[in-house]
Amino acid sequence: MARIEDLKEEARKLLREGKLKYIIGYAMGSNGWMANPVFIKKPEEVDKLIWDPTCVHNLTRFLVDEKRRKAKEKQPDTRPVGIIVKGCDSRAIVVLLQEKFINRNDVYILGVSCEKAGVVDDHKLVKKLKGKKPKKIELGDKGQFIISTDEGKIEFPVGELLAERCLECKANFPVIYDVLSGEKIKKTLEKPFGSLEKIEALSAEERWNFWKAELDKCIRCYACRSVCPMCYCDECVIDSINMAVTADTSAEEKAQKIKWVQRSPEASENFVYHLVRAIHLGGRCIDCGECERACPLDIPLRFLNKKLEKEAQELFGYEVGFDPAQPSLISCFKDDDPEDFIR
Amino acid sequence: MAEEFEPKIVAFLCKWCSSAGSDLAGVSRMEYPPNVVPIQVMCSGSISPLYIFSAFNKGADGVLVSGCHPGDCHYIKGNLYARRRLNLVKRLLEYVGLEPQRFQMSWVSAAEGTKYTQIIKDFVKELKPLGPQAKLRRK
Amino acid sequence: MKRTGVFICHCGINIAGTVDVKKVAQELSQHPGVVHAEDYVYMCSDPGQNLIIQAIKNKKLDHVVVACCSPNLHETTFRNASTAAGLNAFRCEIANIREQCSWVHKDKSKATQKATKIIKSTVEKVRRNESLEPLSVPVTRRAMVVGGGIAGIQAALDLANSGFEVILVERSPSIGGHMIQLSETFPTLDCSQCILTPKMVEVSKHPKVRLMTYSEVEEVSGYVGNFKVKILKKPTYVDKDKCNLCDECSIVCPVVVPNEFDLGLTGRRAIYIPFPQAIPASYTLDIKACPGLLPIACGKCADVCDAKAIDYDMKPQVLEEEVGAIIVATGYDLYDKENMAEYGYGKIPDVLDGLQFERLCSASGPTKGQILRPSDQKEPKEVVFIQCSGSRDPENHCAYCSKICCMYTIKHAMLYKHHVHDGQAYIFYIDIRSGGKGYEEFVQRAVEEDGVLYLRGKVSKIFEENGKVKVWGVDTLTGKPIEIDADMVVLAQAMRPSKGAQELAKKLKLALDKDGFLSEAHPKLRPVESVTSGMFLAGAAQAPKDIPEAVAQASGAAAKAITILSQERLFHAPTVAKVFTNLCTGCGMCVQVCPYDAITLKDGKVEINEVLCEGCGTCSATCLRSAIQVKNLSQNQVHEMINACLGG
Repeated sequence: MARIEDLKEEARKLLREGKLKYIIGYAMGSNGWMANPVFIKKPEEVDKLIWDPTCVHNLTRFLVDEKRRKAKEKQPDTRPVGIIVKGCDSRAIVVLLQEKFINRNDVYILGVSCEKAGVVDDHKLVKKLKGKKPKKIELGDKGQFIISTDEGKIEFPVGELLAERCLECKANFPVIYDVLSGEKIKKTLEKPFGSLEKIEALSAEERWNFWKAELDKCIRCYACRSVCPMCYCDECVIDSINMAVTADTSAEEKAQKIKWVQRSPEASENFVYHLVRAIHLGGRCIDCGECERACPLDIPLRFLNKKLEKEAQELFGYEVGFDPAQPSLISCFKDDDPEDFIR
Repeated sequence: MAEEFEPKIVAFLCKWCSSAGSDLAGVSRMEYPPNVVPIQVMCSGSISPLYIFSAFNKGADGVLVSGCHPGDCHYIKGNLYARRRLNLVKRLLEYVGLEPQRFQMSWVSAAEGTKYTQIIKDFVKELKPLGPQAKLRRK
Repeated sequence: MKRTGVFICHCGINIAGTVDVKKVAQELSQHPGVVHAEDYVYMCSDPGQNLIIQAIKNKKLDHVVVACCSPNLHETTFRNASTAAGLNAFRCEIANIREQCSWVHKDKSKATQKATKIIKSTVEKVRRNESLEPLSVPVTRRAMVVGGGIAGIQAALDLANSGFEVILVERSPSIGGHMIQLSETFPTLDCSQCILTPKMVEVSKHPKVRLMTYSEVEEVSGYVGNFKVKILKKPTYVDKDKCNLCDECSIVCPVVVPNEFDLGLTGRRAIYIPFPQAIPASYTLDIKACPGLLPIACGKCADVCDAKAIDYDMKPQVLEEEVGAIIVATGYDLYDKENMAEYGYGKIPDVLDGLQFERLCSASGPTKGQILRPSDQKEPKEVVFIQCSGSRDPENHCAYCSKICCMYTIKHAMLYKHHVHDGQAYIFYIDIRSGGKGYEEFVQRAVEEDGVLYLRGKVSKIFEENGKVKVWGVDTLTGKPIEIDADMVVLAQAMRPSKGAQELAKKLKLALDKDGFLSEAHPKLRPVESVTSGMFLAGAAQAPKDIPEAVAQASGAAAKAITILSQERLFHAPTVAKVFTNLCTGCGMCVQVCPYDAITLKDGKVEINEVLCEGCGTCSATCLRSAIQVKNLSQNQVHEMINACLGG
């Protein structure tokens, strides 16, 4: 079983020796069912770190912020940043390394293995608890989640509360790390993209109706973009809401800015935004599920990005987020890439 | 008499093969429906997925991308990147429910005026029963 | 400041017969930014061009669209007219409303609507064009030829005779390649050395040729017109100007190693001359065979050298040179006999390959021109020649045809019969490919005059038994199996790119095809150019071929190199890619996709070598941030064109 205690000693040592700038990890959440991201700067703060099934966030997004911060500083502190990652999160780091967004020695990776479990889905938890308030969630020895409430401890088998993506997890232990807690138990998936089958089985019209209903809800808050580690572009191509126009911005740059979609959150514009985002994440999305979790309208964005992960695998034999030396999906090709769709 | 629906098609043709093939269809005085408006690009490899989505967003009923046959690309391998990239675009569009006939890709060489003509004829015929593309079109 | 002029050509009735040109002109004159729209019967004519020139001047146009035939025909015409009027050529674009509109549609109203859309789309594009000037780079007017076989020698001579300095780099101690190892050449049966040595002497004496033998290319950087190369000159330990070829050194040398020139049929000493007519005419000390110089283990050769030519202190040198064009002519090697499991793994002494048999025939060879079995030096009375050995065999060996084997096998059979009058020659074949000039007649001559027996079938097994080489084959024309107790077997082994070619290709960043030969830019129309601008291919390094083809290709490659070297400056189309560095995150995807290696990653941003960029736009489509755009065909422009095409 992965325990945070395994990592705390290493964390304390590195902070004491000044080897790390700070460590990004999880701390106890205030609501009892979701951890809080925490930034540990001093060795004495290390005790705040936790590891339990409420650690749902993909902390790698903070590496993007870290890089942006460093870019603005005149004499940046170039020490590496420590980060606690699950298996899925580590694949995000692999993609960032692949794209040279960060260097390997910019991060010190403290990995935790989910072993046979994963993280809790809050929607499922609410249904099961039926009004009871959780105070703490732990992983038990017998494949169960133990939830502490005011009325005592309740147990559920892991399978009933796991996040959907954990059921299809490809990497339940970090694929890249400096230090690891927990065992590397390989999971074999019968159907690695099984969750897509329901949508794929629908007819074209039914699929359209499904996606129209979902994307009609979108208010273009861009939470999905803000929380995704791979959406690290300073300006989003499809709809830049942060184009910094300064005195230095040339007329040419202003002219180059293309308004591909209109601001208004109409279905057609929402579709184009999400389609472009999905295609730009093709071969880069590692299904951390943060976009879906962050979406205030509960749009099932995972199903959009996962479709391309599946196509990358099935059409091109491309596996995302395991090999930092691999070329990107769209910057390589195979001689036998399928062309049955081409006349 | 109700006017028959005439699909609007945007065709991205690579300069060295497909546009030349289209020119050959013209020189040979072949006939095809005027529904397709061509845009000449240097290479099918330069077709960004943004073009496809934008074309549908601006009201295209059909989008055609045509390039050189694999191995014949004037720029050596641009068409091979297009092959991979646009396969993903096609699958994604179908996944969200856009009719698969609306986005088509073809290999047309500078000698294939006949093939180009047939592709346009078939494309228009396939699109007519589908009616106007309203799913991604901006209102 | 958008003042666009639109000029619509009737092209007689070619366009005007279907498209209502007056209506189109009228509609375009209403389009935002268009300040002049007119139609004329023949825009490409002098009066037509004048209309454009006058309009540019009088109406101060800053962009021009000519709606007419395909740009392939008159883009240059109208761009020249624009330049004549003082407008940058790249601010003039063509809208094809003939081949892609009036000639293919019958419905006038719809054709007119479509023509209008095409022209509006072009207007939206050209409005956003910037003025561009062709790029120019200076050219180093010197060439390098890698490989001193017949192709390399020919290319070097052609370049030198055109007045250009050539550096000819050859890795072995002498130039001559494989052709110098041959006895006679088909179909004339010319003595190979007799026709080659004059060229070898010419190239060695030519004032414009710098011959660097026993040297290898270590590194190449730069781009067309401006390559920087590093050449390693290996030490021969013999001063070639002092050596007088007396041969005393090799007599006293205690070491014997297999002689590469005779393909292992004889031995040579550590200090040796590869063959008598070697150029440069000097001995070479093979440091790998020598017992050692640090400290001097033997020293006998230097002791006996009267000319004091031997210098044990010679050091390797790395020379840095600048060249404008490179020709790669690294030649071939034969497919190793060790790979032929069914033919004895190369271990049977009397089973030879084509080059070894060539050496037997040669008067300067291991047997002084007599055909004798390596095992017991007896004359073979029954010799089996096997064509397609290792070729045309996709399952086990090489899939391709090695082109020359049919011809040299029949030559070998003839030479054998000329040497051994009472001998019998058998040739196992699948086909007889004799396509060159005089080749078919040569084959017929061998069959009719020399009694060579052709058996159509493959040989399934060869093995030794009782001093004979047993050959088990089949004659498919009679359907019967054949067993021959041969005295000697000659395998026409497949032609492979020469050993070390793969490593060299990596250094030069030259593409290889699926069989390891150098890739040409286009198999039909560009057979001597590589994909890399400024690097050319000649000889068997590019594909199996015979001597006349190698010579022709070498001259072709030299001519291509001269198109670069003959100019003081190179001009290159300026519609190249451009980076918006503030959007670039240095992910490097564009670097990977560029077919011309024109993009490099430096300090977290990409840079474009405009001279290498061909403007294909693959980088632009790959970049997730649209940080890289092609000048005058940016994504912004295409966006506007899409809009205009759909009537927006």
